[in-house]
Amino acid sequence: MALTITNLSKTYANGVQALKDVNLTIPTGMFGLLGPNGAGKSSLMRTIATLQDADSGSIMLDELDVLKDKDGVRRVLGYLPQEFGVYPRVSAEELLDHLAVLKGIGNSKQRKEIVESLLQQTNLWNARKKNLGGYSGGMKQRFGIAQALLGNPKLIIVDEPTAGLDPAERNRFHNLLSEIGEHIIIILSTHIVSDVTDLCRNMAIISQGQVRLTGDPLTVVEQLRGQVWRKLVDKDEVAGLQAEHHVISSRLFAGKTIVHVLSDSRPDGTFEEVNPDLEDVYFAQIAERKSAVLA
Amino acid sequence: MFLPIFLFELKYRLRRPATWIYFGILLIMGALVTAAAGGIFGSGVNVSLSADGGHVKVNSPHSISGAIAVLSYFGLLITSAIMGNPVYRDFEHRTHSLFFTTPITKAGYLGGRFLGSFVICVLVFTGIALGVALGGVLPGVDATKFGPYHLSYYVWPYLLFVIPNVLFTGAVFFTLATLTRNILSTYIGSVLLLVAYLISQSFLRDLDNITLAAMLDAFGSGAIYYTTRYWTAAEKNTLLMPLSQYILLNRALWLGVAVALLAFCYARFQFSAFASDKAPSKKTRAAAALAEQVAAPMGGRLVLPRVTQFFTNEMNLRQFWSLTKLEFRGIVRSVYFVAIVGAGVLFLFVTGWQVGKVYDTTTYPVTNEMVALLSGTFSLFILIIITYYAGELVWRERDAGVAQITDSLPVPNWVPFLSKLTALGLVQVVLLAVVMVCGILLQTAKGYFKYEPGLYIQTLFGLRLVDYLLLCVLAMLVQVIVNNKYLGHFVMVIYYLTGIFQSQLGINHKLLDYGGSPSTPYSDMNGYGHFITGFTWFKLYWAAGALLLALAANIFWVRGTDSAFTRRQAEASRRWGRPAWTALALGLLVMLSAGSFIFYNTNIQNEYITPKAEEKQQLSYEQKYRRYKDMLQPRLVAVNLRTDLYPATRSVDIAGSFWLKNRNARALDSILISVPIGAKVRQLSIGQPAAKLLLNDSVLYTRFYRLARPLAPGDSVEMTATLHYGETGFPNSGSNTSIVENGIFMNSQAYLPGFGYREGAELSDDDVRKRNGLKPKDRQAPATDVKALQNMGLSQDADWIRFETVLSTSADQLAVAPGRLLKDWTKGDRRYFHYKMEQPMLNFYTFLSARYKVYKDQWVDSAGRRVVPIEIYYQPGHEYNLKRMAAATKASFAYYTKHFGPYQHTQVRILEFPKYQSFAQSFAGTIPFSESIGFIAKVDPNDPEDVDYPFYVTAHEIAHQWWGHQIAGANVQGETMLVETMAQYSALMVMKQEYGAHTMAKFLDYELNSYLNGRAFERKKEVPLSKVENQGYIHYRKGSVVMYALQDYIGEANVNKALHSFLEQHKFETAPYTTAPALVAEFRKVTPDSLQGLVTDMFDRITLYENRLTDASVKKLANGKFQVSLTVDSKKLVADSLGTERPAPLDDYLPVAVFPALGKDKKPVAPLLLTKRRFRAGTNKFEFIVNQEPAKVVVDPYHEFIDRVQKDNVKEVKL
Repeated sequence: MALTITNLSKTYANGVQALKDVNLTIPTGMFGLLGPNGAGKSSLMRTIATLQDADSGSIMLDELDVLKDKDGVRRVLGYLPQEFGVYPRVSAEELLDHLAVLKGIGNSKQRKEIVESLLQQTNLWNARKKNLGGYSGGMKQRFGIAQALLGNPKLIIVDEPTAGLDPAERNRFHNLLSEIGEHIIIILSTHIVSDVTDLCRNMAIISQGQVRLTGDPLTVVEQLRGQVWRKLVDKDEVAGLQAEHHVISSRLFAGKTIVHVLSDSRPDGTFEEVNPDLEDVYFAQIAERKSAVLA
Repeated sequence: MFLPIFLFELKYRLRRPATWIYFGILLIMGALVTAAAGGIFGSGVNVSLSADGGHVKVNSPHSISGAIAVLSYFGLLITSAIMGNPVYRDFEHRTHSLFFTTPITKAGYLGGRFLGSFVICVLVFTGIALGVALGGVLPGVDATKFGPYHLSYYVWPYLLFVIPNVLFTGAVFFTLATLTRNILSTYIGSVLLLVAYLISQSFLRDLDNITLAAMLDAFGSGAIYYTTRYWTAAEKNTLLMPLSQYILLNRALWLGVAVALLAFCYARFQFSAFASDKAPSKKTRAAAALAEQVAAPMGGRLVLPRVTQFFTNEMNLRQFWSLTKLEFRGIVRSVYFVAIVGAGVLFLFVTGWQVGKVYDTTTYPVTNEMVALLSGTFSLFILIIITYYAGELVWRERDAGVAQITDSLPVPNWVPFLSKLTALGLVQVVLLAVVMVCGILLQTAKGYFKYEPGLYIQTLFGLRLVDYLLLCVLAMLVQVIVNNKYLGHFVMVIYYLTGIFQSQLGINHKLLDYGGSPSTPYSDMNGYGHFITGFTWFKLYWAAGALLLALAANIFWVRGTDSAFTRRQAEASRRWGRPAWTALALGLLVMLSAGSFIFYNTNIQNEYITPKAEEKQQLSYEQKYRRYKDMLQPRLVAVNLRTDLYPATRSVDIAGSFWLKNRNARALDSILISVPIGAKVRQLSIGQPAAKLLLNDSVLYTRFYRLARPLAPGDSVEMTATLHYGETGFPNSGSNTSIVENGIFMNSQAYLPGFGYREGAELSDDDVRKRNGLKPKDRQAPATDVKALQNMGLSQDADWIRFETVLSTSADQLAVAPGRLLKDWTKGDRRYFHYKMEQPMLNFYTFLSARYKVYKDQWVDSAGRRVVPIEIYYQPGHEYNLKRMAAATKASFAYYTKHFGPYQHTQVRILEFPKYQSFAQSFAGTIPFSESIGFIAKVDPNDPEDVDYPFYVTAHEIAHQWWGHQIAGANVQGETMLVETMAQYSALMVMKQEYGAHTMAKFLDYELNSYLNGRAFERKKEVPLSKVENQGYIHYRKGSVVMYALQDYIGEANVNKALHSFLEQHKFETAPYTTAPALVAEFRKVTPDSLQGLVTDMFDRITLYENRLTDASVKKLANGKFQVSLTVDSKKLVADSLGTERPAPLDDYLPVAVFPALGKDKKPVAPLLLTKRRFRAGTNKFEFIVNQEPAKVVVDPYHEFIDRVQKDNVKEVKL
């Protein structure tokens, strides 16, 4: 099973072009969609989740035309939107049961089983009778994944699930995601590189509505080996470096700035080679895009 | 700190488009109402500002003030939008943490925001005045309806009302939104303000709660009402609203409340990020606790039980039901729902308690009255709930932030939409059940146990519910289409407003008025009768219409995150499939077929006529036929009919002979016949050989006949006619209420042919005449008009006629017409009655038929040594007041035969008729009496406030057997004084005899108040009593006051002597008929010279008194008696026909009374002293000695003189 996105484009009414000719093939397993804020990740997620239309292009889930047969998609879809609320005065159990009915789980015994099982597995069992209005951010997010898992989704879309979660909650959430399984498609959209590093076997980087790079995180990192160099400089030297070299990232460290530079060979002796990680890949893609825009 | 915040607020608001949109809306509304009142919309459209009109100019201070006030009440919605927002928006946009951490002061922040918004709000409201001013100069308005412009007329209402009201309501909304940090609370604020306003309005007509009603209403409308209620045209045209005591007190009270609210808001407001920073609520604590007890990650695979998903129609239905329950619970559990319903229930109890008040006396809380009153009262709250919750339902997922989840669930589109609609519908069922429970509770509380649950269910769930369900569909559609909650609410409010002005907008046919249907009046006698048929067809038609609306709403239902309209269109076309085609086809099919059937009924089977067209018809009648006004016509002298009533099919056949006599000095050869409207003329011929039909105008129901040979003076000719009446199908509106299944009540003047030109059919309102190019028309000719003296007021084509009829009806009903019952028999399924008048009567008779029960009594005429049987024909179940009515009849006969002369008939019959109309009317020996004005009255003999009006109305109608049926005045000014005023006097005397003179104050107070109210709404001219032109407020109301005073001054015996003598001279007389001056002359004969001036003031002038008790004291004398001293400021005024007053010399004896304290039962007590003292203009001082301790001093205790302020005629005194 695979989700194939072909030449997908979308421009909003206000003129913002959210997606530009996006082509992606997403196999089963966890797929990471990485990109900065405003890159078009959510637009893509929502389009796949039948919540909005594209201007052109197609999305196919095997034989299923996602853009046309919305009902067909919805039957196999589990969706956790980027930002979502809850009915504050309804309990988790009640709402989950209600959503289960809407997912077509008609047998009440089965429904009870799956609701209970989900509440247990998302560690919400003890809080199941509480009104959702009283849930913390992490609990809410776990409730979100629980509802996305209702039914037997073949396609799960999780949009920026860990934004705003503390590290412990984020860990719990990652564990939960990792347990879902390899036989269905799970698309995880995020702007946090380590989410992808930790969880995904496949990934794509998207920026300004376009797919920059796709592949296995390990492979793409490997491709960058020997091209990333590091230097510790004073803050006021950064501007000069940026003019001379292809700086992909800079971050502060103990009052100085660590600069990562992309170059086929060591720029000069003051630079030392870095073992590249996915973050370097990510910043390299984003930075390329930025310089392209500037030029 | 204040100024920058204030200025920022101003600038921010001035840049907001909403501010200018609000301004524009108010401006347009102001301009529209003024232009409409100024006649811009031409014929068929009558709009007046604060019920002014006639001689009151559209830009008079009173009209302007009224228009500004009423529009500013609508502006409440705008105030809530503007004034709820200033601090709330910081919470809404989460900017509060930015602001609250800057070094601003609380006073500067709150004050700046409040005052800034307040100034903007006032600015927005100036749109009304600007609109009202502009509306008057638009091209097309009638300039003669406008007087000179004065800036002060526009500014003054703002200073006195608009600005203080905006301050008060603004303070309410500001405080609510600021302290609760929830904008929805301003909705509740609006509802509560509305309820307070409505409750205070419901007190307005009650004479005993004036100050309360004037104070209770935060907008000051009660205070305005009491200040201006008696203003005449002259005063309305010139006076600015005075600072009356009511207004000053009201303004002071509510400004005080506003300031107190703002102070409270200031005190409670805190610069904190959360509404309650003090202690975390239970909920937050619990959540925190929960978060900690999260177990360690599970590790391993997530194992979920397999489930089977169903995507069948049956599953969809279950989903639909599950969602419906969720939505329904969401509404009924919300605090706002509970608050709105609670406010509504409170209001229900307040209004329900006063059910059916007439003369401050309630009726029994019979179910049909209760259900009509309560469902009407509650409808406003239902509209609010529908409007508000339609928005909440459509936006529920999006507001809660779960829309993206629910929208991507595998449910078809119709499931969420239809379940929300169903939930809203179920809420209506709940609301109507609340009405029913309240009704039953009220009935129980009032000690009435004849519950009619069936009627409750039929009315609420059979009729009302349909309307509300249709409205639910519309409200949902609007919300879906406009896709903005607040805009949706606004659109609905506009829709409701256009409902009020429908006729003005030209929407008269109910096929064009969404949800519209002919009205369904209820009567205990006839139930909902035949009205249900039309109702059902129209509702079927509109149900199909609603199906189409629902289809549209479903197709355009927003699902997903992209709601740009082009996207929605694309989505809609994708959704358009077989089911949509089916629904469309079904909806259109039903609409078309039901619509065609309705159209066939309303426009082909029945005549459909718009108000405009009706006006044109009247105009054309006058233009075509007025030239025959003075054409010689014969007089009707005898009628002999065979009248067959068919209640089951609501049809009537009348066949008979009409003898016409030429009473003129010359021969005549042409006869102009007015065919009764709606009659099917099967046959109509005159004379032998038959007269020739020259003209048959079927539109204006007029025929012209040329006699075969001229009719010589003194000769007679017979006309025979066969007429058929029957409503086929149902009309758009105005279905016949006279010919019904149970309770036929037909009047000869509407159902039998008339002769000659009918001046009464002309357009009568001067404004309407003017826009049709006609000259103003006098209501009645002066008493000196010799030609007019030839006709009696009641009928212009006959004098006294002989009358006989064989009347038949269905076997289960009794049918009655005037005359002695010669014979009655049953043949087959028909029952026959043969009635014959034993002496001539007016050309004014009636046929009634219903499944009556008859209450029998009799009056023994000791003088005439005969027995007059009394029969009351009534609806079984309405036994409450039969004895009272019979007692009133006997007391009346006793009084009238003794003082006025013998009763001319051998029986008297009182007959109940359905409450489609509410009056009683006297025909010869036959008195139809509406079920609503006495049969269900609940007169509590122990309540001093109650007036025994069944007794009074009966006495009044019996009196008409003398005044009306013996004395028929000429059709000139003063005619109704001879008929109605004398009947009032007669009834008053019978009441006085029955209940004692000291109980009359309450009744006369009502009469006086009604007179003063009536003259304030006079559109043409007020005239003195002896020139009354059929004006109810004069001949009934002022008539009562004047005649009661007259008998007090010259003595009841003398008045009766004059009346007796007048009757002796004029009863049953033929043309020329008598007039009011002739009666006044009789009064003068028995009046001493000293009181001749009083008679002039009473009958020939509009005289007003302004008495004011400025001081009263009491002192105990050595001999144990009490000395009472009082000071009275007095003034006497004479008014002209428009109400312009000039002072008149005062030298009259006026009544003064000293009363003891009331007993425990609070019933009126006889005075310790009642005397008449000479009053002069200015200050008068009096002293009296009384034997008992006095409690109250009153000038004119029984309201015998016209004095607009009664309250200052009374003073309590204490030792």
